[in-house]
Amino acid sequence: VTSKIDSGVAHLTLSGRLDANTAPTFKTEIEKVAAGKPQTLVLFVEKLEYMASAGIRMLVFTKQVRANDQIINTLEMTGADKSVIFVDEFQPAALVR
Amino acid sequence: MPTLTLPGELSSLEPIADLVLEQARLAGLDKHATYQLRLAVDELATNIVIHGYTEHQKNGNIVATVDVDAHDLTVVLEDTAAPYDPTRRDVDCVEQDFDKPLEEREIGGLGIYFVRQAVDDFRYEWHDGRNRSTLVVHRPVVGNRSALTAANDRMI
Repeated sequence: VTSKIDSGVAHLTLSGRLDANTAPTFKTEIEKVAAGKPQTLVLFVEKLEYMASAGIRMLVFTKQVRANDQIINTLEMTGADKSVIFVDEFQPAALVR
Repeated sequence: MPTLTLPGELSSLEPIADLVLEQARLAGLDKHATYQLRLAVDELATNIVIHGYTEHQKNGNIVATVDVDAHDLTVVLEDTAAPYDPTRRDVDCVEQDFDKPLEEREIGGLGIYFVRQAVDDFRYEWHDGRNRSTLVVHRPVVGNRSALTAANDRMI
């Protein structure tokens, strides 16, 4: 997990496996980023190979997702695709609601 | 028949996933079936560690065994936590939540829902003081021959 905050937009990049064992690291990083009170949080998960149900709950704050086909399939199975937008490229303008 | 005996801790999830991925590859499962099986086993193993052992301050092992025959890939997970039958978990409430935004949903049950979706057969038994969950995925058939034969050919 790596993160940076750029003019109110927090970027979090995840890679490898997001399972129950690695989820706490992700949560800690989100909390660290949240302490900076960003207006927007963007997760970059295209290098994330795997996401368990523990990870899906963390997408509560997420509006845009760029991920591999299998992870998108998991999100679609749970109806989470109704809560997020799948994108090929990060679109800052689409975050304005 | 490859078997792993690991402590009932979250750090055991990774080696269990590696075993499943390797055996799925040998069994000729496609990318989607492999991912679904790995998800199912990971969710079950997570439940064993968290709900079976950790929440009850109980120590014990998880034993993961994978068997590949001509037709099926079978994963068996065993633990010595209190008897719990995951096949009886009601997941209707999980499905009803799928129309709700993530933040309004009930917590829990999602993992077992994935297990049901992912595999062709899911069985549970209490055997010899152990919980035993069995997940079966049918192997793809290549022409008239099984994928096992084809896989063996490739290894020669």
